[in-house]
Formats: sequence, structure tokens, C-alpha cells
Amino acid sequence: MRINPLTRDRIKKFKKMKRGYYSFILLAVLVVVSLFAECIANSRALLVYFDGKIYMPTYGDIIPGKTFGLGYDYETNYRDLKIKINDEKLNGFVIMPLIPYNPYENDFKEGKYPPFPPSLTEKHYLGTDKTGRDIAARLLYGFRIAFFFSIALMIMTYSVGISVGSAMGYFGGRFDLYFQRIIEIWSNIPSLYVIIIISSIVIPNALLLLLVMFFFDWTKMTWYMRTAVYKEREKEYVLAARSIGASDRRVIFRHILPNTVSIIITFVPFSIAGGISSLTALDYLGFGLRPPTPSWGNILSEGYEHFSAAPWIGISAIAALVIILTMVTFIGEAVRESFDPKLFTTYE
Amino acid sequence: MSTSETILNVKNIKLHFPIRKGILRRIRNYVYAVDGISFSVKSGETLGIVGESGCGKTTLGRTIIGLYRPTAGTVEFNGTDFSSGRKDSLKKIRKDLQMIFQDPYESLNARHSVRYILEEPFHIHGETDREKIKERISLLLDHVGLSEKSLDKFPHEFSGGQRQRIGIARALTLNPKLLVCDEPVSALDVSIQSQILNLLMDLQRDLALTYVFISHDLTVVRHISDRVIVMYLGRVVESADADEIYRNPVHPYTKSLISSIPVPVPGKQRERIVLEGNVPSPVSPPRGCHFHPRCPYVKDICRTEYPSCRSYGDNGNHIAACHFGDSLKI
Repeated sequence: MRINPLTRDRIKKFKKMKRGYYSFILLAVLVVVSLFAECIANSRALLVYFDGKIYMPTYGDIIPGKTFGLGYDYETNYRDLKIKINDEKLNGFVIMPLIPYNPYENDFKEGKYPPFPPSLTEKHYLGTDKTGRDIAARLLYGFRIAFFFSIALMIMTYSVGISVGSAMGYFGGRFDLYFQRIIEIWSNIPSLYVIIIISSIVIPNALLLLLVMFFFDWTKMTWYMRTAVYKEREKEYVLAARSIGASDRRVIFRHILPNTVSIIITFVPFSIAGGISSLTALDYLGFGLRPPTPSWGNILSEGYEHFSAAPWIGISAIAALVIILTMVTFIGEAVRESFDPKLFTTYE
Repeated sequence: MSTSETILNVKNIKLHFPIRKGILRRIRNYVYAVDGISFSVKSGETLGIVGESGCGKTTLGRTIIGLYRPTAGTVEFNGTDFSSGRKDSLKKIRKDLQMIFQDPYESLNARHSVRYILEEPFHIHGETDREKIKERISLLLDHVGLSEKSLDKFPHEFSGGQRQRIGIARALTLNPKLLVCDEPVSALDVSIQSQILNLLMDLQRDLALTYVFISHDLTVVRHISDRVIVMYLGRVVESADADEIYRNPVHPYTKSLISSIPVPVPGKQRERIVLEGNVPSPVSPPRGCHFHPRCPYVKDICRTEYPSCRSYGDNGNHIAACHFGDSLKI
């Protein structure tokens, strides 16, 4: 199978849009990296060589301290183990991840109160929050949660929104009319209030938030799809498909949808940006994911509370948010431009 | 050339599109796109349908192959009426009735390769033998004059004429008996038009096809048709054998159409009948004869009464709907 040259042209055009293309590569790298966040920011060592044996504790069960001759049964503190091996010149070594803290652990130091400012020697590159949790680690894990949350939200809302919208546009008539009114009413339910009410009754987890947000968000895509399909429906290739006997489902999904894909793809980056910011907003207001879950909203609200005493919390969170959202917007812009049938249009 | 067996029989079909207005989308009026048309097509012949744009010829074509359900009347194919039937009965008849579309740039899905376009009809109709499909497709490509290399290309990599060939190949995949050609050459260059027309005529001879050929181009229709129907505002105004209608047109509308064909002889000028005004809206067709506001020979009776069809000529094949068909001599 060859790639449709239309698609190839679009990819070529997308690659020419430098800032969008590089943002895309950078974001893709970030997403892949965040998938392996356990190897980047973790209190467990990447590799331990001790007494002629190799341990890789990153994934899997905890390794009790006694294994390494430490006098306790709970999980080994690898940072201490590293210091001990160095100090006592023991036969072995410990390789720690780049950020040797996990996002949940509170790093308390004797005689000091957190938050601690950024420090290279402590390896708290962005400092800690008020309970001594490493901010860089929390940002990384928070990014993973927010990004995949919005991907999941997008897949859910798109599959329902696109199906309903296409059906509305394709069948038209009564079906279209009634669904339009239903969706108008549906989209006027104040979603924030519903989420506040729900989160005052139960403590929301990611899945519940996902379902609630999906419940209110799926209507957006229906309008665009309805219009697009409405336009495509009367084209001759659809009539041709129907005249060879294709079923309605086949016509919608095999013939019309591939021709509206540019509309769908154009919305993807903006939906992801929207998903990230709405989850962050909910967390910030305290109606979303609860601490200690690493979430950007939580870090942001903490940064706001302690801005004069610990500016690094707020600054890191805001910077991360701005960078990611800007990159996603750049990608969206480039995608929109490369999928636009009108060449040489600029969005200033 | 033509046997006497009737393959398609259209009886008084009407297609009225409702115009809905207001919040409740009540029906306020109708577009009378096709308003009571009857004709029959014999196996192996070519029936030409001509008329101005907006006269309902495309709608008629789409109704014949079952894309639209007629408001009234029946379409019988090989003696079975499918126009009011359910979807599964339609699917069987789909194999025998296919359509060639007007615009080869719009009628092929830009997202599908030629292979997909030609294979899809087999998948839809449950043909699974891959070898058989392959064989059939290479035969089809041979018929329409495309090479096997085209299979992995996409429609926009072809020229208009080649795309129309793909469209013809697709229409032929299921071995149809009747093809409705909806202005198959009007979107093409003149030099390509004749190629496609000759291809269609060759195919008709080789595959024993029956054509309903819709066009606004009178020369093209004369070239390819055995019989011709002239439509005006959703109704038949005249029908006759192709040569007869060009030699002895009866209806003033047909006369004016034929007088507008350019004569390919330098210096020679045909007497032109230039029609005044535009085609009236099919939403509110004029009272009486639909043609009366533009007819140069209009009389009082034309304004009040729709003329019934009358036979002319020797064999009774020549039918026209005009009050004064006999007396009008131009």
C-alpha cells in the first residue's frame, strides 16, 4: 500500500512549518520520556552492583534494606546506600536516576523546614514543595497524567462526537433536528457545577473525572462533523458508493470520514491543549485529582499560596504549563496550515 | 441493433422535493423536479435525455437507478418494480443498474486508490475469491484502456479522461445490464469527449449494454442515441427516434434547441430561434403549458391548459406535448 500522495503532501508541508515541526518532535520525545519517568525521576536506583550481584530495582518488587547489609526490612534507601558504599569503600556501586526522588516522597532534612530552593548538590533541580517533594519529579509525572488524560478524553469524545455528528449530517431530517435540540440543551448544562457537586460527594479519581468531562465534552465535535458530513453527503462519490450498494455505515465510515479527516486532525492538538488545561484548572481549584497525586494544578495552587516564600514552585509550574501549551498550539497551527486546502494562508 | 425486449419501464414517476421552513420545519412548498415522466427502454438501445440545466434530467437519472425514491410512479426493471421496494431488494438490482457520473473529479473518492475503488463493489456484494476479483479487474482495465500500473495510484494522479475511464470501470465491475450516463463527457475537454463516447459505444457493442444517456449537448446525444427524449421543467415535451427528432422537430422548444446547434460549415447560418427569458422555477411552474412564457407561438389555450402528448409521424414513435404540433411550421 502506498501512502496517499495527498497525505504525503500534507506531511511535507507540515515538515516545512519549522516551529510546528520541531515542537512536534520535542513533544513526542517528552511523551516517550514521560512513559519511562520511572527511570528519570525515582528514589529507586537504576542499577546496583553489590557483593558481585547486579540489581535493577526500578520496576518490580521492593528490595529490603537487609539485602545490602542495611539494618532494616523496609525498602532500601538507595541514596543512603550510595553514600554508604562510597564512604566505606565497599565493593560495589549504585547508579541513581537523573532525579533521585520519586514524586511522592517527602525529603525532610534535619533542622530545616521545606520547601527547599533549587539546588544542584541536593539534586532538587527545581526545588521542593512545602512537604519536601521534588518539583521536577512531580512535574514529569504530572505531565504524564495530564497528557494521557487528555488523549483518553479526546479519544472518547471524538468517537462519540464524530459518530453522532456524522449520523446527524448523513441522515438529516427528523433525526438531525431532534439531536440538534438535545445537544443544545446538553451543552448548556453547567459542567463545572456538576463537577463541584460530584467532587463534594466522592473523592474524584482520574477515571471518574474522565467520565464526567467526557459526559459534557462530546457535544463539541458533533457540530463540526455534522456540517462536514452534510456537505460531503451530496457529492457524487457518495452517490457512486451508494449506487454500488454500499450500506449507510460503509458510506459514512469508509467514504465520508476519510474525506473529513483534515477537519478532525486540525482539532486534535487544540483538544489536547484543552484537556490539559481543564484538568489543571480543576486540580488548581481543588475539584480534580487530590494530593499527593502529582498534578500540575496542585503544584500551581501550592505555588500561588507560597509565592513570596518559595517562588520556584509557582515559576516551575507556570513555565512548564506555558511551554507545553505553546508547543501544542504551534503544532496545531502547523497542522491546520498544512491541512488547509487554501495554500499560502497565514494565521497572524 | 435493438431487440424488442423492454428492459426498463418508467411509469409516470414524480419526484417532488419538499421545501421546509420555520422551527418546526413544516413543508411549505415543493420543488417539482420530475413531474410525471413515462418511457421505456429496450434492451441494447441507447435512450438520450436532453434538456437545459435544472430541467430534472439528473434527478430522473438518479431515480432510475434507485438513489432517490420517487414520490409517485414506478420504475420497473426486467418486470420487477423496485422503486418502492426495501433495501435488500434494491441491493440485488444494484448489480444490474449502474451509473456513470458527470464530474470525474468529484465522483471518485480522493482518499481511495484505484484498486480499492474497483475492489469495493466485490466486497459489498460478498465476492471473496481474490483470484477471481483480480482477473475481473484486469479485464475491466483492459476494457476501459487503463494499464495495471494505475491500480496503486490515486484518482487525482490521473487526467479527467482517465478518471472518467476509472468511473466507467467501476460502473462495469458488477456486470450491469443498464448504465445511466449522467452527462459523462460534459466535464471533459472536447478532444477527450469523443474518446470517451467511442469507448462507451464500443463497450455497448461488446458487453450488450443498454444506456440511458443524459446530456445537454445535442450533438453528443445525436451521435450516441437511438431514441431521444426532450425534457422541460420536469416533463417530457417530445420524444422520437434520434434522426427523426433532429430532422422534424415538432415542439417549439425542441426546435429552438436544435436551431442552437452550430453548423460545422463555414458561412452557412441556420435560422436561430432565440428563447426569451429563463427557465421558470420548478417550485412554481407556470399554469398551462410550462413552456408558454418563452414560446414564440404562444396562444390563449397554452396559458390555461397543459397539452397532452400526441403522436406524430408514420410509426407513432414520435410524441410531442404541444397544442399546435401539427400546424407549426417554421
